[in-house]
Order: sequence, then C-alpha cells, then structure tokens
Amino acid sequence: MQTSLFVLSTVLKVLLFPTYHSTDFEVHRNWLAITHSLPISQWYLEKTSEWTLDYPPFFAWFEKFMSIFAAYVDPKIVQIDNLNYDTLATIYFQRTTVIISELVLFWALQRMLVVMGNRPLQKIINWSLMLNPGLLMVDNMHFQYNGFLYGILVHSLVDAKQGKLLRSGILFAALLNFKHIYLYIAPSYFAFLLRAYCFENSGNSIRARSWISAFRPLNFVALGVSVIAIFAASLGPFVAMNQLPQLAGRLFPFKRGLTHSYWAANFWALYSFADRIMIVLVSKTPLGQYFNLALDESALSATTRGLVGDTAFGILPTVTAQHTLILTVLLQIPSLISVFRKPTFDRFIGSVVLSAFASFLAGWHVHEKAILLCTVTMSVAIANQVGASPNSGVNAGAFSTSDQRGSSALTPRDVRAFMIVSLAGYIGLWPLFFTRPETPIKVLITAIWFVVVGSGLDQCIPKQPKSNDTLLSSKSMLRYFSLLERLYVFGCIPVQIYVNIVHEAVFGQDRLAFLPLMMTSVYAAVGVVYGWLLYSATYFSSSKALDKKKTR
Amino acid sequence: MAPTTLRANKATKSKANTAGAGASSSSPSPHRTTTTTTTSFTTTTTHSSTSPTTTPEAPKLKNLAVYRYATWLEENQLKKTAVWIAVAAAVLVRWTVGLGPYSGQGVSPRFGDYEAQRHWMELTIHRPIREWYSDKSKWWDLDYPPLTAYVSWICGFLGAKINPEWFAWETSRGYESADAKLFMRSTVLVFELLIYISSIVVFTQRWFAHKPWTRQHTALLLILLQPGVILIDSGHFQYNTVMLGLVVWAVNFFLADQDVLGSVAFCLALGFKQMALYFSPAVFAYLLGKSFRQGFFGCIWKLIKLGVAVILTLGLLFSPWMESKEEILQVVQRIFPVFRGLYQDKVANIWCAVNVVIKLRERFAIQDLIRFSTLATLLSFLPSLVHLIAKPTKRGLIYGLINSSLSFFLLSFQVHEKSILLPALPITLLILDEPALAALFNTLATFSMFPLLRQEELTTQYYVLLGFWVWMTTGTFKNVSTLLKFLSALNLLVIVSMHLGEMFVAPPARYPDLYAVLNSLWSAAGFVFYWAYFNYRQFTLVNTPKMGFRVTKSKTHKLA
Repeated sequence: MQTSLFVLSTVLKVLLFPTYHSTDFEVHRNWLAITHSLPISQWYLEKTSEWTLDYPPFFAWFEKFMSIFAAYVDPKIVQIDNLNYDTLATIYFQRTTVIISELVLFWALQRMLVVMGNRPLQKIINWSLMLNPGLLMVDNMHFQYNGFLYGILVHSLVDAKQGKLLRSGILFAALLNFKHIYLYIAPSYFAFLLRAYCFENSGNSIRARSWISAFRPLNFVALGVSVIAIFAASLGPFVAMNQLPQLAGRLFPFKRGLTHSYWAANFWALYSFADRIMIVLVSKTPLGQYFNLALDESALSATTRGLVGDTAFGILPTVTAQHTLILTVLLQIPSLISVFRKPTFDRFIGSVVLSAFASFLAGWHVHEKAILLCTVTMSVAIANQVGASPNSGVNAGAFSTSDQRGSSALTPRDVRAFMIVSLAGYIGLWPLFFTRPETPIKVLITAIWFVVVGSGLDQCIPKQPKSNDTLLSSKSMLRYFSLLERLYVFGCIPVQIYVNIVHEAVFGQDRLAFLPLMMTSVYAAVGVVYGWLLYSATYFSSSKALDKKKTR
Repeated sequence: MAPTTLRANKATKSKANTAGAGASSSSPSPHRTTTTTTTSFTTTTTHSSTSPTTTPEAPKLKNLAVYRYATWLEENQLKKTAVWIAVAAAVLVRWTVGLGPYSGQGVSPRFGDYEAQRHWMELTIHRPIREWYSDKSKWWDLDYPPLTAYVSWICGFLGAKINPEWFAWETSRGYESADAKLFMRSTVLVFELLIYISSIVVFTQRWFAHKPWTRQHTALLLILLQPGVILIDSGHFQYNTVMLGLVVWAVNFFLADQDVLGSVAFCLALGFKQMALYFSPAVFAYLLGKSFRQGFFGCIWKLIKLGVAVILTLGLLFSPWMESKEEILQVVQRIFPVFRGLYQDKVANIWCAVNVVIKLRERFAIQDLIRFSTLATLLSFLPSLVHLIAKPTKRGLIYGLINSSLSFFLLSFQVHEKSILLPALPITLLILDEPALAALFNTLATFSMFPLLRQEELTTQYYVLLGFWVWMTTGTFKNVSTLLKFLSALNLLVIVSMHLGEMFVAPPARYPDLYAVLNSLWSAAGFVFYWAYFNYRQFTLVNTPKMGFRVTKSKTHKLA
C-alpha cells in the first residue's frame, strides 16, 4: 500500500477545506436534503431549489446514505427549504465525505498497482491520479464526487485487464447509474464486452464463417441479465411509478446550449472562436461585403455573455444536437472496429480513451470537467504499458518477457500526448476558480504536477537503441517534445499571466470579461485537439503494426 | 586559510563516496590524506572534529518518506528542478493555511496581530518618520525595531497604490476585507520566500556540502515543512520568518567564514525584531572566540571590523531617531515594554510553571522580577557561552544558538508563547544531525502554541500540519535508544489525550484554563529537558562525526 500517497493526498485535501466552493456544493447539499426528507417518488419531481436532482438513481441513493450522517452532524443540512446553507460544520462535513468517498479511487489504484505490475511507471501513474490537479480542483475545491466515480471506473478497467469481464461489465453498468456522463465511453465497453466475452476469444480475429460457432450464449445471457438487473434496480422503481420520462428529462436537458457557461476546450470552442473572428472581420472590415456574408445580428450578444443557454452563431452555420451526435459517433467508430476485430485490453483501453475524446471534443453541452474522463483513462492506458526503470543500466530498454504481458512499451508519443492533453485540460479548468485567493493554488498544483509527473514519465520511457545522443544527453523533461510542443507548453505562461493578472489590471473586472475566458478555452482546445490527434495516430499505427506482424 | 584541511575534507569525502570520481582525481591518495587530517585540526576554518572517517549515514534515513522521495528525484535526474518543486510545495502549503482566519479576525474592538501590522503600514505611510515611535494615537503602538517599520512602509506604500482605503489614516482602523487579507497574506509570503526560504535553501547547501545530495534535500523539505513557523506566520499572521531568515543568513555567512557579512545579517535580524536578542549571546561568543584565535593583531583587527559593521548597521537603522537623547530613548522604551509583566497568557516557560504554585506576579515588584529573571537567564546561558568562546566551532555555534535562545525562552522577562519559534529554528536546522530530538522538539513546540491557535480557530490547520509532521518524522525514531522512543511515545500520548480531553470533557468551573495550564506545564518540562540535553551535547561535541563545509571553493582548487 502506498501509505505516503494516502497521507499526502489527505493532508492536501484537508488543507483545501477553506477554499472557494462553487454552486455544486449547494447542489449536493440540496440533494442530501431531497433524498433524506422526501419519499423516492418525489426525488425527481422536487424543485424547491433550482438545483434539481439530475444524476441517475444510484447517485441519489449514495446521497441518501450520506444524509444519514448529515442529519446526525446538523439536522439543518437536510432541510429542503434551507437554501444556500453553508456553515463551517456543513462545509467540513461535505468536504470530508468527498475525501472518504475518494478512498474508492485509492483502493482501485492499489489494485491497479498489483495487476499492472508494481514498477516505477505504475507508481507514478498512481501518484499522478491520486494527486491529480484536475480531481483536486473539481472535487476538493469546486466540489464534486468524481474521485469516487473514477474509482469505480478504474476498478472496472482493472477487472477487464484481469480478464474478469463479467464483473467489469457489472461495475460499469452500475457506474452509468451513478453518473450518466460515462455514456461517453459506453460504446467501447459495449464493443469490447460483446466481442471478448460473448464470443470465443483466442486472441485472434474470427473468420467470417466461424462467427456463429464462436458465439457463447451462456456468457451472453449472463452479461445481459446482470446488466439488465443493474438497470432494473436503478430505474425499476421509477418505471413502476411512471416517472421515466420525467427522469430522462432531468438527466438529459437538451434544452441547454451547445457550449457550457464558458467554452469547454473542444471543437466547438474553436468553432465559436472562428465565428467570433469572422464577426469582427465582417463588421469592422469590408471583407464581409466582398464575400457577401450576412451577419445574424441577434447572435452578436449571445455567446459573448457566457451564459448557459442557446448558443447562436453570427456567420457560421448553427450546430444542432443531431449534428454533434453524428459527429461523435463517426469519430468513435474506427476505434470500435479495431476493438471488435481483435479484443485485447490494449486496444480496449485505447478505444475507451478515444471514445472519451470523441464525446468531449464533439459532444453537445460538454462540461470542461469532462476532460477528466480523457486524462484518467489515458493514465490507465499508460499504466498498462511497460516502462523502464530509471537508471537500471544500459539494458533499460530491453525488458524481460515476464514483464511484457502482451503490453507494449511506453513510447515518447504516449507521454507527449498525455502531458499536453493534461496540461491543456487542467488549465481549461482554471476559469472555474475566478476568486483571487485560489489563483496561486490552482497554478501551483498544476505546475508541480506537470513537472513531477512529466519528468517521472520521461524517465520511464525505455531508451531506444538507435536514438541519437543529443536526446539521451539532454536531461530536460521536454527532450522528446517537438519545437511546436515546447512552444505550446511555455506559451501557457504568458497567456495565463495575461488572463489572470494583466487583463484585470488593464480593463478592470467588467469590461471584455469574456476575452480571458475565450483565450483560455481556445488555447486549451488547441492542446486537447492536438493531443487527441497524436494519440489517435499512435493508436492506429500500433494496431496496424500488430496486425502486420500476425499476417507475416 | 587552511588548504591542507580543505584537501583533507575533499579526500575523505571521495573516500566515503565512491561515486565522486571527479573529486578523487584532484586530491592526493587516501593513504596520505589520513595523515594530513590528523595534523590540520588547529586551523580556524575547521570545526571540532578529528575523526577521519565519515560513517555512511544514508541507510539510517530510509524510513523517512521524504528521503525516499529525494532518492527518487536523484534517480530521475531531477536535482535541479527539485529545489523549485520544494519551494513551490512550501508556498502551496503556506498559502492554503493562509486561507484560514488570522489573529483577531472580526474581534472588535482591538483585533489582533494582523491589525497591528496593518496599522503600522497605515502609520508609516501617513506620519513623518520621526513621529513613528512617538505617535500617541493609542492604537497598536509601533513597538518593533526600525527594520519592521521600514518593511511596513514598503508594504503600506504598495498596498495604498492598489487600494488606498486599506491604509487610510484613522478611518481604516479595524479595516477588514477579503482583498486586504489577500494583500497582507501575500506580503508575508513574499518576504518569507525572499528571506527565509532562500536562506534555508542556501543553508542546506552549505551544511550538507560534503554529504550526499539526498540528505541535503531531505533536510530542506523537512525544515520548510516545520509546522510551527507555517502556523504562526501564514496562519496567525506575523513576519517572524523575516527575522528568522536573517538569522539563518547570518549562520550561512558564518559557515562560509564571511563573519562581517554574518554580523551585518544578524544586526538586521535584531533590527527587525528585538526577539533576535535571544540568539545574541551565542553569536557574540562565537565571533569573540574566533577573534581570539587570530593572534594579537589579527584579533584586534577582526574585532574592529566586526565592531564597525555592527555599529554602522544598527546606526543606519536607527539614524532617523538619533537627533536627540529623548528620541532614541522613546524608541528604546517602545521596543522593550517592560511594563507588560513577567509573561503573557500561558507560556510554557519556568516562570509560568512556578506561578502555578507561587503567585510570583503578586508577591514581587516588577523591578525585582526583571532583575531576577535577567540574572537567571544570564546564569543559564553562561556555560554554553563560555564553551563557545573557548571552542568557536561552526557546529558549536548552532548548539550555542539553541542553548541561548532556550535559556531566554525559559527564564527571561516578558516571553510570548510564539517565541518558542526561536529555539525551534536552530534545532530544526539540525534535523538530520539530531533527527529524533529535533522532530520531537517541533512536535512539542507546536503543541505548546495550541491554546493560541485554538483561540484563532486555526485548529484544523494545526491538526493537519502537526499530524503530517509527526507522520513525516516517525522514521527518525527507528534507530534511537529505547528511552527516546519511550519519550516520544509518551509525548504523543499526552498530546493526543489532552486534545481528546479538551474536546470531550469540559474543565471544572474552578479551573477554566485547566487544559492551557496542563499544556504549558508539560511543554515547559519538555523544554527544560531539551535545555539540559543540548547543553550536554554542546560540551560533548568533540565526538561527533566530521562535518565538512564548503569554504571558498575557488581558492581550494588553485591551492590544490
């Protein structure tokens, strides 16, 4: 067990108690109150507070479990009409529940350490996940229970790695009933479990003729029944009460706009940015008349306000929910096919990452916090690879066969993609904390994480025998990064200095308030998209290479 | 200078450290080295040790998580970045602690130390310099020496540029706002970063110059995470680290034999907070003893240099008030307010402990108490002082600093509970030389400040940081005697049971301060033990393993 990791993360999280907490704190307090004082039939109907229950039923049960203790700590916490109640005791109580629930993640990581091989690379990934700036910011400052949920996800992934596919599927089904955001990666799970569990899996692809003989009806029934049982346990009561439409309406509020309050770092941030640029060009220069572009006047004020609601574009065509859905599915399909053809864990975890990326980049009303889905699954994918031990001599690259376990070696590309996506994604979370005392905290935890994890992973990259001397002699953690990537990493510094300090000093708090948010989102979006491309390239080239080896 | 010694040091290092292949090429063979070592101990730049072998101490530390982290850093070639990571982590911890309440937050009408510091900024930017110490507004008189006043002026000047309301004359008294707090907290942190944290970084580089890097970094992390300093400066709100940092800078200069610079730094510490006087006997003895070893003319010349440096520094600091005798007396009276009494609140020193049985303050006149306590203090640090004059070694200097500051804390007049930070500083500097005892001392010292921190609602931060410190340093008790293990366990038991008792059992109505008194009695007993122990250690220093300091590196190479 990694005692130091446990102690250090707990200490840091408790020290973060007095930091700013967002409205999500009140959201969860309200849910404690709803689940504690109302019968189950009212859970998804109650609307005293504007923060109605919009997570699936298992999460509601989880809140009900916590509310037992909440009522013991302070009965006022669980009163429905006691809006915006945040006494010191309430804050301490709710923040403590987050820390305790995150032990699920810690447990999952300890399992991962055992299953993936207890080597430096896996240890670094454990540290990186438990002290992840994204999780720290979103859970322990902003206030959510992501550590707990990602803990279940990691448990499920570790089960899949161990070959306990039924348990993995059941856990994932349960996870979906805790928070439906995990639907983003459900296609990969579906493809993998269907192919690897419900069909003969000898590690080879199946010829067209033998599909029927490879089918395993017993496994299929077992998986189907258990998943249905999970959903029945969760949704059954609401089906019985005829509340399913109401529940669905709460869970999937499609009335919200394409982008969240400020833009998540995805395609639509770039798209909206392009639209803004064109609006300026059309309205301020004669270019518009030249190209005969029409300006939709009503859109001018919409996106700049940064409010939750419909997003309108001035010049570019409007994007609808159907468009985003089609695009997401299109982006997910290639990796799904690859998993379906050859269901190894390597391909599965890569496909989970790519599905998460597809949904994050192209999805409808994506929260900036969803980037955690990409970075956490990427971490697991890296932990699944084989890394070198630092300073283990000349043969650092040549690992023994017992280590291989069918996993590939860690490549510089994986590390670059991971570090850039993480950096971009976490900086994309910074605008969640607009209060001044939190600025040094968010900057420091991100910077420390980046340097420590970046250098640690860098040292775990097995040395290539043919790599040139300049690479090996350089000790910089960015030695494998290309020039543009380095520019991107260092470019964060001036951009964020402007966003956090200069902008307010020059323009004050109210004027052009959307400009810094837009800069952060667009800059982060560039990094995330780049990292996604890099990761896709690695994924598809490596799976192709493996295929070729087989045919030879 | 002593080239032979330096060469000897280098060679011993290369002998102990097989990895240091570069050093061995430039130094004579190990065989010859041993002979040079034994003949070189009379020179002034060395310190008390004659034992030529450095025992490999590294395995001892394996139990420390911090040490394992340092090893990981070394394996990953992160030595250069490591210091920045450590500093960033230290700043992160301090800043998060700073999110908590400060001394006297929202406590009308007098508020607390925070308001005092804020008021001094207000005072210094609005009054002419000659009225700083004679201002009669009856609101938190400026009672710290001039450097504090100058620093206040800088902070006030900058703060008033951001928002003049924070420091408006008279109307800003008791002013509290989130932004003002943010500004004040960041001034503390900036000065701490510039003076204290930098001094600790340099100190570990010099103190562990001939030791493995991992030890140096372990010490750096442990010293930076010492809970007491963080809780008082970043939580309670004070600028102690400026004074402590200047003292460490003085030590850094002494380690490099830059005695004049060292005494200037020490005078600046004195000029920032009069509490630095706790250290002055040791510094005085060290410099005097060192001067005596320079021969007759060398001694006189050195004393003149040091004297001029001291007089110039202090003279410059006090120069605005030097015009008349009344003025300078006014300043001195403000800085040493004897009328406040023998001690404040409940402080873990001897007077407060004795007071439980004999009511000193009622029985004796204040003048008698001053005289008596001064005499007692003098007697208590005298042995250490004399020893240091006789043997002015660098290691001895640190022990001397401990002994004189502990004497002052235990016996002098008008002691605050926060003053335990002064003895805690040199003791923490010895964190890898006396690991178990230094760790235990910090635990006890932090515990002794608990009544103060509880009053300011910093209990969460206190529990977390103290708990973290105890966990971090448990590894140091692996290889120590059973007695020490027992003492440490007993100490923890007492601390935990007192906290639990305070939480769940209300004190009897007759003794509302029961827990505070018990706390101060237990801590005072511990501090007396430490006073005895460190005096004993100072006198038996000869047997300690060899310490090597990097002294004027470039010259060594030329001579070698």
